[in-house]
Amino acid sequence: MAVVLDKSHRWRVVAAHLGLICFIALIMFPFLMILLISLRPGNFSTGDLIPSQISLEHWKLVLGIPYQAADGRLVEPEFPVLLWLWNSIKVAALSGLIGLLLSTTCAYAFARMRFAFKAQLINSLMLVQMFPTVLALVAIYAIFDQIGGYVPWLGLDTHGGLILAYTGGIALHIWTIKGYFDTIPVEIEEAAKVDGATPFQAFRYVLLPMAVPILMVVFLLAFIQGVNEYPIASVLLKQQDQLTIAVGIKMFLYEQKYFWGDFAAAAILSGLPISIVFLLAQRWMTSGLTAGGVKG
Amino acid sequence: MSDVVLRGIRKSFGDIETLHGIDLDIKDGEFVVFVGPSGCGKSTLLRTIAGLEDITSGDLHIGGERCNDTPPAKRGVAMVFQSYALYPHMTVAENMAFGLKLAGVSKEEMKQAVDRAARILQIEHLLERKPKALSGGQRQRVAIGRAIVRKPNVFLFDEPLSNLDAALRVQMRIEITKLHRELNTTMVYVTHDQVEAMTLADRIVVLNAGNVEQVGSPLELYHHPRNLFVAGFIGSPKMNFVEGKLAAIGANHATVQLADGSMVTAAVDASAGQVGGKVTLGIRPEHFEFSASGNTISGQLIAVEHLGEATICYLQVPGASEHLVVRADAEHEAKPGETLSVRLPETRCYLFNEAGLAFQRVKNS
Repeated sequence: MAVVLDKSHRWRVVAAHLGLICFIALIMFPFLMILLISLRPGNFSTGDLIPSQISLEHWKLVLGIPYQAADGRLVEPEFPVLLWLWNSIKVAALSGLIGLLLSTTCAYAFARMRFAFKAQLINSLMLVQMFPTVLALVAIYAIFDQIGGYVPWLGLDTHGGLILAYTGGIALHIWTIKGYFDTIPVEIEEAAKVDGATPFQAFRYVLLPMAVPILMVVFLLAFIQGVNEYPIASVLLKQQDQLTIAVGIKMFLYEQKYFWGDFAAAAILSGLPISIVFLLAQRWMTSGLTAGGVKG
Repeated sequence: MSDVVLRGIRKSFGDIETLHGIDLDIKDGEFVVFVGPSGCGKSTLLRTIAGLEDITSGDLHIGGERCNDTPPAKRGVAMVFQSYALYPHMTVAENMAFGLKLAGVSKEEMKQAVDRAARILQIEHLLERKPKALSGGQRQRVAIGRAIVRKPNVFLFDEPLSNLDAALRVQMRIEITKLHRELNTTMVYVTHDQVEAMTLADRIVVLNAGNVEQVGSPLELYHHPRNLFVAGFIGSPKMNFVEGKLAAIGANHATVQLADGSMVTAAVDASAGQVGGKVTLGIRPEHFEFSASGNTISGQLIAVEHLGEATICYLQVPGASEHLVVRADAEHEAKPGETLSVRLPETRCYLFNEAGLAFQRVKNS
């Protein structure tokens, strides 16, 4: 393992590390700024880099706890931020799960089955996905307005409707999973079929367990998308207690006054579920699950 | 246990037909080897028997039942793949028990069947490992074990040894022969290696470009190939072919005039031939003799290979499509550049007509 190294190698390693540290600082800086804004008293977007005074007023408000203001009056939380957070988690998790179910089965069909117009279909999926969602907002609004007339729980201002809208955006997930299925040798499923498995059993007991890492990645991407998405949610949801956190925290920014401190605290809160899901999913994202099945 | 009967099996992928009507009877308990160059359709034929490819036309019977539309699971066959195709997320024991688990067999029986197969293949100590912790030979044993556990009526092997190194291949070959003797089950084995075919088979099916060229026992194919293709394919190093013209014909001999004017006699029934007709003379490298009297062919020695147990000489002969390969004693001392005369024993010669079909050889023993 010990490769002979040039003398200048050490300096290049130091330089590379310095470069990486600068890069990380660059990425971390906005996050630290948001964190500081949420901890500074008052609602200002700018201020000391190191705050002279730490205040938890914004966090209390965001978490729904009344606090005593400097002038002595009791400030009641104005918005149900925790409810928004719960809405976000619910919508993101459900749309992620349903999306995963659909995209996995769909990807299986594209990867393993023979049918007419296969190439055209999967390419058109890609093309449709490239069309910016924002341009379709009016159509999406009209569609869900109509749907609501027949199926109330899928209409405007419902989480069902939002989940349905998010689940529509799985074309990229299908591509991702199909790409992974393509790398798994077909012989393994054929062996299962000769062993007595129906096509569904071969899919369920043989292909799926080997694809767990990619399924986790796709779920994670869908979940992040669900928590962060703004345009569709802002059009479909109107009532305050139905909002997702991405749409809801916009309420802290009035025309006349920007509550930057509260906004910052809520923004960090919305990143929390994503981090937790990522940490949970990580243990499934192991490589080498398919190793040893066939001659490499 | 069951026999396999193929009647006019055709297989097309789109417009391209890869099997052109295969007829074959595989008897119960027989070990049949499909052999042929790559792309000849031998794997496709095996996969149609397994049910992994549908049959375009023709009939397939396994154990007396027509199986054209039966899914693989219900054909009573087990298959061993070239790439092993183990389930990487299951242990060896789970791999072997998978088929039984799907069939709803009780845990007790499952364990018994797995243990029995593991004992036969001597992989008892590997049962709890995952495939990735096994060597190539061990993986192939597991793949065979997975097939045994299901107690199939027909075993199908798709080039199971081609991923193993030479020494292991010889060992596994012997074990497969042993396995066939113990289980006494019908086995169909695909390979492109004619040595494997010769050593394993009760009967060999030589395939070429989607057609059956000849079916017969290994020695039958060696001694009485039906045509040029089979003659060239069976035997190693391969048979030498020299072109010539029929000079004289008879019921038990034929005299051939070679390109350099020399005459060679072969002990074949050439009564169907025509004097003056183009023929191809065949002789195997191991059948040349070094006494330079009568029925000889001579050429310039261009290369000599000393293999230890034998010496292989390459002769440049007019009329031969390639160099003539002659297998000589280990002590043979010919040098490249010399002219060498070798004798062709009459009874060792093969003769093929212009269409490539063999004249019947006179049986000498």
